[in-house]
Amino acid sequence: MQTNKRGPEFNPGFEFVPAYMGAQVFRREDDDLLVGRGEYVADIRLPGLVEAAFLRSHSAHAQLKSVDLDAVREFPGVLFAGSHDDLPGIARYPDWIDYQQAVTTSPLADGRLRYVGTPVAVAVARDRYEAEDALELAEVDCEELPVVMSVEDALAENAPLLFEEWGSNYLLDFPDQDDLVDELIAKGPVVCGTYRMQRQSPCPMETRGVVAEYRRGRLTVWSSAQSPHILRSTISILLNIPESKIKVIVPNVGGGFGAKTHQYPEEVIIPWLAVKLGRPVRWIEDRTEHMVSAVHARETLLDLEAAYDETTGRITALRSNLVCDVGSGEISMSGTATALVARASVTAGLKIPSYATSVSCVVTNKTPSGAYRGFGAPEAIFAVTQLIDKIARQTGLERADVHRELIFDPSDMPYLQPSGARIDSGSHREGFERILKRLTPAVEARRNEYQDEPNVRIGSGFCQYVEPTAPTYFGTTGHWTSHDASSIRIEPDGGAFVTSGITSIGQGTETAIAVLTADALGIPIEMVTVQTGDSDLCPYGLGAWGSRGAVYLAGSILKAAKTVRDKAVRIAAHLLEASDQDLVIGDGGFQVKGSPASFVSWADVGLVASIRTIDLPDDIEPGLEETAVYDPVNLEHRIDEMGRINGAASWANGAQACVVKVETDTGVVTVLDYFALHDCGPMINPQIVDGQMHGAVAQGIAGALFEDIRYDEYGQPMSTSFMDYSMPTASEIPWIHVDHLETPAPEMPLGLKGVGEGGTIGPAAVITAAVTDALHDLGVVIDETPITPSRVRAALRRGSDPLGPSVK
Amino acid sequence: MTSVGSTSNVERPRKSTSEIEVTVNGVREHLVVSNRKLLSDVLRDDLGLTGTHVGCEHGVCGACTVIVDDLAVRSCLMFAVQADGSTVTTVEGLAQDGKWSSMQTAFNEHHGLQCGFCTAGFLMTLSKAEPADYETDAEIRELLSGNLCRCTGYHNIVVAVKAAWGRGATE
Repeated sequence: MQTNKRGPEFNPGFEFVPAYMGAQVFRREDDDLLVGRGEYVADIRLPGLVEAAFLRSHSAHAQLKSVDLDAVREFPGVLFAGSHDDLPGIARYPDWIDYQQAVTTSPLADGRLRYVGTPVAVAVARDRYEAEDALELAEVDCEELPVVMSVEDALAENAPLLFEEWGSNYLLDFPDQDDLVDELIAKGPVVCGTYRMQRQSPCPMETRGVVAEYRRGRLTVWSSAQSPHILRSTISILLNIPESKIKVIVPNVGGGFGAKTHQYPEEVIIPWLAVKLGRPVRWIEDRTEHMVSAVHARETLLDLEAAYDETTGRITALRSNLVCDVGSGEISMSGTATALVARASVTAGLKIPSYATSVSCVVTNKTPSGAYRGFGAPEAIFAVTQLIDKIARQTGLERADVHRELIFDPSDMPYLQPSGARIDSGSHREGFERILKRLTPAVEARRNEYQDEPNVRIGSGFCQYVEPTAPTYFGTTGHWTSHDASSIRIEPDGGAFVTSGITSIGQGTETAIAVLTADALGIPIEMVTVQTGDSDLCPYGLGAWGSRGAVYLAGSILKAAKTVRDKAVRIAAHLLEASDQDLVIGDGGFQVKGSPASFVSWADVGLVASIRTIDLPDDIEPGLEETAVYDPVNLEHRIDEMGRINGAASWANGAQACVVKVETDTGVVTVLDYFALHDCGPMINPQIVDGQMHGAVAQGIAGALFEDIRYDEYGQPMSTSFMDYSMPTASEIPWIHVDHLETPAPEMPLGLKGVGEGGTIGPAAVITAAVTDALHDLGVVIDETPITPSRVRAALRRGSDPLGPSVK
Repeated sequence: MTSVGSTSNVERPRKSTSEIEVTVNGVREHLVVSNRKLLSDVLRDDLGLTGTHVGCEHGVCGACTVIVDDLAVRSCLMFAVQADGSTVTTVEGLAQDGKWSSMQTAFNEHHGLQCGFCTAGFLMTLSKAEPADYETDAEIRELLSGNLCRCTGYHNIVVAVKAAWGRGATE
């Protein structure tokens, strides 16, 4: 067991009375969003605003010879057009990650084009219509190169290399071997399987966009991003402008899902143009651009092999090899971190005593892949769930029983996995049993409902998982670690103004901040005003990703609130001529215990603290505000000498199950019932947690059944619109029945664990398991997503699984 | 988006404009617009009604849905000149005297929105739907299937619609 680096468990230092936490509090964000008053980056209007458009590579792999923009520059209305050499003074993205090949991309292509969508040139005109027209006149000369469109292509002998200097197409290659694992697998019995998850796009409804303005010696950048301060630091480094001269504003964000955690070329080029032209410049990504230039995710091949106990089916040793197709790899905040999380997730949440997990990331001529909600975990749980079910089919044991062998009990806590992950609490077994209790009658009911339809088969699937939340960013970025900060200021009228480094990408973060602040100060929630996403106003923080908001907000807000409370109590006691210890907080102020007439309000205290400071006690300075940083005690940023790391501050857990209907004539799979149980500890706002689960499960279902980023053999993307990237509608997504357990994390503020990504972890696992369950007596085993009708029909035709008909 | 390797040799388009008259959220507007300018862009750029969002610009996501002469239409698939003489309602026109419609209230109370980007499109589609035409959950989902949402999994949107229409509670 690891020891805490910085002392005892977090304690707010005062009695936290939850008046709003856990209760139904409607979202304050809605006041603007429901009436069209939100402000997204495309809504920013500035005098003199001009618009940029990008020319992007149409070749998947080519050497850029020349870019002739003369005709573009002559086009009426064009203020500027340039390719790489026309934008001097932009540095390359730094290489901070020491465990992989260096990728130091230039924001505009400077020679090699490695995917369709690579930004090659930019034009600025009075509006986007003109900028796009003008770019039609660009003359680009390229030498086409042979393309690498799959892992198999990339690793073939004499494969074309994307980066010659590497000597191979491996961006990262971590082999792993363990003698005991080899020995157990050699002894048998063994189970093995190869599972493939397809390339997907996080696809927020709002595309990316950047507006920049340079005025009075400062650069202001609005971006639809998940981390304003990280973007500010990146712009500072690439443009060599001091951080204090840059303000980054993240206005309303129309969803991020990981795609907007990366630091993209346009977020540097548009600010450069604003400085160069002395006019505000805007670029709003169109959907086709988004599908080729915002990160993709999830494309992974997982090869699993396990030894198990013949009687119980319990896995005794597991060997896995993951190969992730990360596209061209040219993305800041590398796309390899998801593969490392996938590797750890194959065994996370399972009692498997011995394992060896290899992982490699391979570059191909596709859009770089990166972060997507779930960040590697959905891929892993998808594969390992199929493997566990396969043991049941091989042994004739009940599927649920084989799963049960691997689940944590409360008595296992804290459980230190060989990877270093330290799971300190959870409702792993209880969650699993609860989800099965909901599933069993649903399966029965559906079987009865469809018993007279010969072409309909019913199947069910289930899984349980742990979800790393509030993780380190050091492994991902090689630079930023993970902390966050919030600031509380009591205004002269007693209102609380709160800012935070945690930002909102649409989840309801402002409401959560208001709830925590109101409860921490003991004030009505209406007295709390929240500001996020402004690097001038908010303390340095890392933003919204990794299901981190709840934990870091609670930690920082409670700490800041303690200081503010203590000082406010002293001022109030002075005004009431009472002792600090005799005061109670409530009803919007402070009163002497047992004598309601002796009362001063927060407004009285705020007035004295900031305006009528002559009424302060002699030993108290004016002002009533505090900024506090929260840095979880148990979170580790570097692997130890044994290669271990506890890379997440807290570990949520969950269990999911579904019933599917498979039509054997058409191959259509329909999810009839979906159950999701989640345990993120005590909930700040249950309605928001439900919403996070619904949305995440829907994205998981989308990946399991529908969405697929495809390329042709020449590297041309075939999924560049919503016509051919099939995001599900309300008709494809079933009711998602969400249950909660609330097991507190002993070392987290208020016992909180993160929420947001967990819902995505289960769907590919349980839907695939359910389709196999429905069809395995026809010799069908599904091992690849998305489970499209044609794929199901092909599998039915093959009926090739040697284990198929023999077991139920 | 423009791609390298495009061979078209485009002449500068003749800047042709038209005068149009539209009534938007009850206000009569007289505008001179470029013939090729989309209704969504005119609403957002010329009239400052940025509550109408553009999610795909090819008519699939439904985020840009507005009401033109009583019909829910995608403003990204319509030129502004085609709206000449029409009456247009956008999300900014839904609340009356600062009071939310029952659907807006239901979306708030049942958490029918998260990032809010698609919300205007859903609200506009629903503003012209006749509840009696959508009796079952499946029919409500079919009605909503012209609007994409990436945050909610549609669950709480359907819950909100049912609440606003006085239907039985859903889990």
